[in-house]
Amino acid sequence: MEPLVHTAPYIGYVYPNETVIPWTMLIVVYPYLTGLVAGAFTVSSLYHVFGLERFKPVGRFALLTALAFMIFVPAPLLLHLGHPERAFNPVWTPHWTSAIAVFGYAAGFYVILLILEVWFMYRPYLVQQAQQRPGILGRLCHVAALGSNDLSEKAMRYDEKWIFALAVTGIPAAHGLHGYVGFVFGSLKSREWWSSDLMPVVFLFSAIISGVALLIVLYVLSCKLRKVPVDLPCVKGLAYVLWGFAMFTLVLEGLEFANIVYKGREGIEIILEYVTGRLIIPFFVLQFALGAVTPLALLTYMIWKGTTGKALIAGVTTCALLVLFSVWMMRWNVVIGGQEIAKTAKGILEYQIVVLHREGLVTAVSVAVAPLALLWFMTRLLPPWVETATWQVAKPRTGDRRAVDRRNA
Amino acid sequence: MPKHISRLLVLMAVAFAAALAARWYFTPESFYRFGHYRADSVPEIAAQEPVFQTPRYCRDCHGERHAQWSANNHKTVSCETCHGAAKGHPQNGKLPIPSDTVKLCTLCHEAMAGRPETQPQIEAKAHSGGQQCIVCHNPHAPKIAGVAVKVAGDPAAGKKAAAACANCHGAEGISPNDTWPNLAGQHAAYLARILAAYKSGDQKDVAMTPLAQALSDADIQNLAAYYASQGCDAPPIRPAAGDAAAGKDLARNCTACHGETGIASNPAWPNIAGQRAGYLVNVLKAFRAGLRKDPMMAGVTRALSDADIANLAAYYAVQNCRPATQGKGKP
Amino acid sequence: MTNPSDPSGKARREFLRRLGGAAVACTGTLTVAGTLGVMKDAPAKEAPPSGAGSFPTKDYDWTKHRWAFGVDATKCIGCLRCVEACKKENDVPPDAHHFNTWVERYVYLEGEDKPRIDSQHDPVNIEASGSEREYRFANRYAGAKVDKAFFVPKLCNQCSNPPCVQVCPTGATYKTKDRVVLIDQKYCIGCQYCVQACPYGARWFNAKKGVSQKCYWCYHRITKGLQPACVEACPVGARIFGDRNDRQSPIKIFMRNNKYRVQVLRPETGNEPNVFYVGLDSEVA
Repeated sequence: MEPLVHTAPYIGYVYPNETVIPWTMLIVVYPYLTGLVAGAFTVSSLYHVFGLERFKPVGRFALLTALAFMIFVPAPLLLHLGHPERAFNPVWTPHWTSAIAVFGYAAGFYVILLILEVWFMYRPYLVQQAQQRPGILGRLCHVAALGSNDLSEKAMRYDEKWIFALAVTGIPAAHGLHGYVGFVFGSLKSREWWSSDLMPVVFLFSAIISGVALLIVLYVLSCKLRKVPVDLPCVKGLAYVLWGFAMFTLVLEGLEFANIVYKGREGIEIILEYVTGRLIIPFFVLQFALGAVTPLALLTYMIWKGTTGKALIAGVTTCALLVLFSVWMMRWNVVIGGQEIAKTAKGILEYQIVVLHREGLVTAVSVAVAPLALLWFMTRLLPPWVETATWQVAKPRTGDRRAVDRRNA
Repeated sequence: MPKHISRLLVLMAVAFAAALAARWYFTPESFYRFGHYRADSVPEIAAQEPVFQTPRYCRDCHGERHAQWSANNHKTVSCETCHGAAKGHPQNGKLPIPSDTVKLCTLCHEAMAGRPETQPQIEAKAHSGGQQCIVCHNPHAPKIAGVAVKVAGDPAAGKKAAAACANCHGAEGISPNDTWPNLAGQHAAYLARILAAYKSGDQKDVAMTPLAQALSDADIQNLAAYYASQGCDAPPIRPAAGDAAAGKDLARNCTACHGETGIASNPAWPNIAGQRAGYLVNVLKAFRAGLRKDPMMAGVTRALSDADIANLAAYYAVQNCRPATQGKGKP
Repeated sequence: MTNPSDPSGKARREFLRRLGGAAVACTGTLTVAGTLGVMKDAPAKEAPPSGAGSFPTKDYDWTKHRWAFGVDATKCIGCLRCVEACKKENDVPPDAHHFNTWVERYVYLEGEDKPRIDSQHDPVNIEASGSEREYRFANRYAGAKVDKAFFVPKLCNQCSNPPCVQVCPTGATYKTKDRVVLIDQKYCIGCQYCVQACPYGARWFNAKKGVSQKCYWCYHRITKGLQPACVEACPVGARIFGDRNDRQSPIKIFMRNNKYRVQVLRPETGNEPNVFYVGLDSEVA
């Protein structure tokens, strides 16, 4: 008895083997998750590397977010593989010409980097907990602190150096980790919709804005849950970052699309037919109009008008949600859209969403939402908010301590 | 160095070593031997057993069939294409003999846009009225001798040579009795073909063989031309024994080659309208028994009973030997 | 130079002792790991082959052959016996969505500039054949005014510069010395990157086995002196197979006879396909 294979209906001519669409919703979730990781890490490094004090309220939280999502990054891949038990084959015998083989090492390296950075960040807390907590928990914390309770000036200096080194290394690592996903698509000769030198850059910048947007939403949400006032300069700073990167992302995505249309290579007719047909709503309406132009316009307005207070928080959060949605649509339009345009350049397929299946809707949503559950759990275990900590913070090593307190800005 | 740093470094070194050891352990033995792949997989793939055995394999047991097949047009069609893969045969029993030949043969021979002109193509309904293809065609030697040779003989010379044939076939090609066939008005191409067959030994007849062997190719041409030009009207010898109406029914299966009333559409095939009934009976029985050789006729007569043969002969014997109105091309 | 906070150098000695200990530990593990033969990163040069003498089998030496395939589309009648033969020979799922080889039909109707193209996955053809397990072209243009029409058999091109091999993360797909691209079904992880990378749509995913598959020129047959199953099945000689090392092989004769007219599919990709076509028009991709 054959397993259930989902075949896609089509118009025009497609290759017979194309009627089974290889990369499904899970492969949309995957770059979305790595994008959030890269973006969250970027926010964290704004504080830990570039020393921008206004991002202190989210600096630590951003790192935890990056780690929580990074842990779930392999999940959609493992669920997609035909042989998940062989998932380490690209690690034992990496074929370096393959971007996916590079991923194995990049992801491994980056997850270790994140764990190390989080560990260094929370070491004083672990030491404190080892001393305070009774019994087994105390022992566990002591082991987690590698059996050391050294919080001397010298030790803390070492820690600072390590955190800085890790954070600096982490920026290219995180961006490489996500940029390579763009390379996975952009380097292929088989699909005109994917084949582009700009693809890694587009993926990267949309990743950054998705991470920033996620942090905005989660930070505001966490303030509400903790019944703590939202730090306005922080949110405004994040809004600035989001605004700047979103503008650039919009330009990049527009450039890429314009490039395809203008060059008018073989296959352009089917691309235009697809874009002006099936893709109008997901691409022009959802990704661009609703997800990119609207938040940009709203942000521009708020910055111009100097909006502040509750209005600012509400407006920026709304923009962040729209941006999150837009980046999801961008991943969808690239991954699914690319496969709906046939390699023959003479046909269009229709990807049909399956609900209950190993690669179905329920699985995809669960994988996308699970990191949030993990994050919640992690914030219980390792509280990230400075004001609730009684232990000495490992300060980031910054060259310039002239950050102005703009709490009332 | 603070002890947590040194312990961390040791931990990382140990983990790194463990990773390297794991990589060594899990990398397959033959990997990297010839390139970035598992060299052992090549002989694994090469060792798979073929499913299709090729006609050479069939020849070992089916020699005669193989010889027939390889001498005719279907020699480019592998046995296994129609009969299925021969892996496990004969241990697992017989291979299927296709029953729905209309479905099978039209896979290649249905007239379809895109098929090159060199491919013989037909429109099934018009060609055989939905009959199975094997009614007329031997699938192992499907080519019907339907190529009409051009006959450029001289009827006058043929008339001279025909004097030797008059005893049996009559002075003008109208046979004096029921046993020997009329030749008058017969297709020249058919006559030329059948005489050549007698001469070469492809066809054997106690009387005709020595007579044909004495003929030259020119004689054959002339005789054929002469008889073809003769008028075919002949009074019936005696009423035929069979039931002409029943014969008409059966004759539907013969229409494709011999025409509705026995006037053949292709000059290579004989007219049988108005032919001697006794002769027709004998010759059909001879085809059925394999004494008279023709792969197509052998097929169509296989299922005929003696009564069927008598009825067919009765039907054709009373048909008008002259074509009414022609114009139909090859079926 | 003395450090005021550590005049006797005790702390410095302590630090150096610890540093030395860590260094020894690292070096030790690396040495042990190295001697365990872990560092074999680069592909080996011509290592001695497995088996007694020749590789991959004792009767077949892969260094002695350069296989190539030819397709004469002017001869193809679209009977699809090749498609059926391949499915039986290579355990391809018997449905209309997974093919190692397939045939495309191009029909130009009068008044239309672009051809109408269909193949075995078209629902009209599936209906004409009776089921997804049988293959037949529907005679759908019987009453139409056809300007020109032809059939094009397709299969894996076994490229010399294969994009599918380039993107495989594990090395499960590779090019052999006799010019065939094979898939190691025991090593493939089923990521389907190769399926995406192939511009010809030759590769597909076997959901039952969890690995990618494609035409492999019946490697198990050609290493035994047989021809690929599709070449055997073709009744009109539209498929040609042979060894480029043998001047009298069918493929060499084919390419010599058609010296001005041999083409490959999508040459602009730089893949260097090894299936050579005669009889394509500009619309065939």
